[in-house]
Amino acid sequence: MPADHLSATFAALADPTRRAILARLASGETSVLKLAEPFDMSLPAVSKHLKVLERAGLIARGREAQWRPCRLKATPLKGVADWLEHYRRFWEESFDRLDDYLNELQGRENRHGRKKR
Amino acid sequence: MDARKGSPAPESMDRPFVIARAFDAPRKLVFEVWTQPEHLKQWFSPKGFTVLAAKMDFRPGGVYHYGMRAPDGKDMWGRWVFREIVAPERIVFINSFSDESGGLARPPFPEPWPMEMLSTIAFTESGGRTTVTVTWTPHNATEAERKTFDAGRACMQQGWSGTLDQLAAHLAGATQGAQRT
Repeated sequence: MPADHLSATFAALADPTRRAILARLASGETSVLKLAEPFDMSLPAVSKHLKVLERAGLIARGREAQWRPCRLKATPLKGVADWLEHYRRFWEESFDRLDDYLNELQGRENRHGRKKR
Repeated sequence: MDARKGSPAPESMDRPFVIARAFDAPRKLVFEVWTQPEHLKQWFSPKGFTVLAAKMDFRPGGVYHYGMRAPDGKDMWGRWVFREIVAPERIVFINSFSDESGGLARPPFPEPWPMEMLSTIAFTESGGRTTVTVTWTPHNATEAERKTFDAGRACMQQGWSGTLDQLAAHLAGATQGAQRT
């Protein structure tokens, strides 16, 4: 993914309203009007969020119909997810192993098994 | 906490990425397992990785150079260049990807992620338990790299990546058009 694209994707995802919009779109394409319903927000405000998501390549908007249906695009999401997952996993799993190792060093059994958190 | 005292100024303008975990062990021991390669080898890698090498020169200016092999057979090298050592309170180092000979290397993905990260590992003890706090700030990063870090930091901190992954998996499995409700 090009550099600018990734920054745009991240910036788009940093906002809770935009994440809620994406979650909503995960269950199928819909109109701006429908998308705006659960939010206490004006249509122009929702449109602004959609523009950010569209620029980030996270959604596509149909030109065919007057209601311009919005739908989710999976590819950029996958790229970002893989990449952040790499970092998260590294630390989470290293910390899990450190926890076990410290117990072992102190002569304790890992009595609670692997996943006690 | 004064964990960042003594670190040089320019990078402190960026908001750091912070991750912390409490361990059921005294601080002295936790500090040791973070600062001795024979200990680090035992835990500092994700599940399923094999440690290839771990060599440490533990002093300010010294380097910890390590390598690991991923389950898919890919090798990954990293290094810490120590800046500050205050036993058993904290260690400060510049963390980066590396190559087999210990040189600085770009992260193994195409995105503009900072090559070097100023990392502070702080150890605090309370009631026999030790909390380890890892703080990351980009070091010598370009504007684009800092921006990616900043946005990525927000996502990582909010635990959004797991959600994203599920969403992406869900979408990958769904046939276009069959989704309408």
